[in-house]
Amino acid sequence: MTPGPEGADAALAIRAEGLGRDYGDTRALVGLNLAIRAGALVGLLGPNGAGKTTAMLLLATLLAPSRGRASVFGHDVARERAAVRRRLGLVFQEPSVDGLLTVEENLLFAARLAGLDGQAGRVAVRATLHRTGLAPRARQPARQLSGGWRRLADIARATLHQPELLILDEPTVGLDPEHRDRMWSLLDTERRERGATILFSTHYLSEAEPADRVVMLARGEVVADAPPFALRSGLGDHIAEVDGDGADALISALSDSGVVVVAQRTGRGWRVGVRGGGEVVTERAAAVSGISRLSVRPPTLEDVYFARTQVEVES
Amino acid sequence: MSAAATAWGIVVRDVIRSTRQRSRLLSGLARPFIWVFLVGAGFNGIARLQDGMSYQAFAYPGGVVMAALFGGMLTAISTVYDREFGMLRLMLASPSGVGAVLSGRTLSAALVGSMQATVVLICAPLAVHLTLAQYAAAAGALVLVSLVSGTLGLLVASRLTSVENFGGVINVVLFPLLFLSGALYPTAGMPPLLRAIARANPVSYMVDLMRHAFGQGAEFSLRLDLAALIGTAIVGFGLTALLFDPEQRFVGKKPSGEGRLTAVVQP
Repeated sequence: MTPGPEGADAALAIRAEGLGRDYGDTRALVGLNLAIRAGALVGLLGPNGAGKTTAMLLLATLLAPSRGRASVFGHDVARERAAVRRRLGLVFQEPSVDGLLTVEENLLFAARLAGLDGQAGRVAVRATLHRTGLAPRARQPARQLSGGWRRLADIARATLHQPELLILDEPTVGLDPEHRDRMWSLLDTERRERGATILFSTHYLSEAEPADRVVMLARGEVVADAPPFALRSGLGDHIAEVDGDGADALISALSDSGVVVVAQRTGRGWRVGVRGGGEVVTERAAAVSGISRLSVRPPTLEDVYFARTQVEVES
Repeated sequence: MSAAATAWGIVVRDVIRSTRQRSRLLSGLARPFIWVFLVGAGFNGIARLQDGMSYQAFAYPGGVVMAALFGGMLTAISTVYDREFGMLRLMLASPSGVGAVLSGRTLSAALVGSMQATVVLICAPLAVHLTLAQYAAAAGALVLVSLVSGTLGLLVASRLTSVENFGGVINVVLFPLLFLSGALYPTAGMPPLLRAIARANPVSYMVDLMRHAFGQGAEFSLRLDLAALIGTAIVGFGLTALLFDPEQRFVGKKPSGEGRLTAVVQP
């Protein structure tokens, strides 16, 4: 029998302290500090190579940490792997579905891997097939499924043993909007009805908007950790995108007027976060020549992503 | 209980997969039949064997071992495919751990090898006369032969990093193991060095055990065959557990480096 978790860690789904991992000389994850309460929906964002997958694999006990420590529901990821895995449902970047097996056989295989054999496994598979809408495709070989249904089969596999924590590494990559919507509905049900904690990574930043918290990684380090609205408001009230030869002059004028919160050079011009209404930007732009494009809009998580994950070269 | 469910799940999955890969199943069965009935038909005329035995009768126990060896080892080596295409990490994420996964893979490889070799064994009367007792003994030998084949296959798979090496393994590992085992010709006529290698080759003891079962002249004692094969299974499994790196799939796919970089200016 596995000893129960002790102390304050038990109330948290995930706690990481200085969790890091190296691959040879490469520091994939420098030191992750994280505390996620049970039942939360948390998005892990960042560019390719930022350390998202490494962080997830460490928390899932599939990689050993090079430094630091982490626990899942109070169980140490390095020393109590079996206890962590029993509470875990995992979705990897690439679908983990065997094309030669039918959908039902794939789920029965996953049930046995989770320790559910015999009647318990069959009951869990039947319930999952109905819950996920996969029942009509149960006898179909997985290789005949579309990419979207195959991904849903993957979600069904990860949730059939009703894990307390779901870790999903880019679960919606390559899915059409209909399947993305279906997948998020399923995950929402997991949260509402069972109180599952969900940690997911995605490059579709709008998917992180409903999250309770967004953790941004860049170059193996956490560069932002807050609810989406707090991250957005940190950039000001509006974002102005300015292109053209006169863009530098406009940014300079806005900066002089003290409304600029953050300014960032893009491939074509500038993206600036400003305080107050957007009128100040349009007024100043009218006085500057050489502006080929100007748009003023509310900040999005994508703006936060660009502002927080790119390297500072000047200040 | 959880470990047993995991191992059983892997066995069921592998057996389903092997029955659905018909071309692989048929080519696995064709190999021993081609040797015994096509090559053997030619050798019948030129081979001089003791007791006036036909070459086909001599080669039949080797044909049964060949089916178990190739079926078992190739199924175990397909772990490399699972590693490459993501199914292995699913198994490794099981609460039961690596031991249950390796046990499941070994048992499934043994079962697939046994299934293929059983078909060859059933057809034995086409080349050799077997009593019911000899059939039963051969079936028992087959269990051990298949188990050792699965263990050896998993040992090879534990160090294989990519599916591209798969074809090479057949040429560099499987064929030498078979040719230097006495399965296809007696080791007595081999040069001393090759004979010494044959004595160290576990497949030699598989073939010898099967010859005991078939009632043919065997090179080693039954006790030595059993000890060598049980020892190989234990040492092979232990080595696999030591050499198998559960992180290989993940570490092999290192992060691509830094994210996209552009300038940020804080005014």
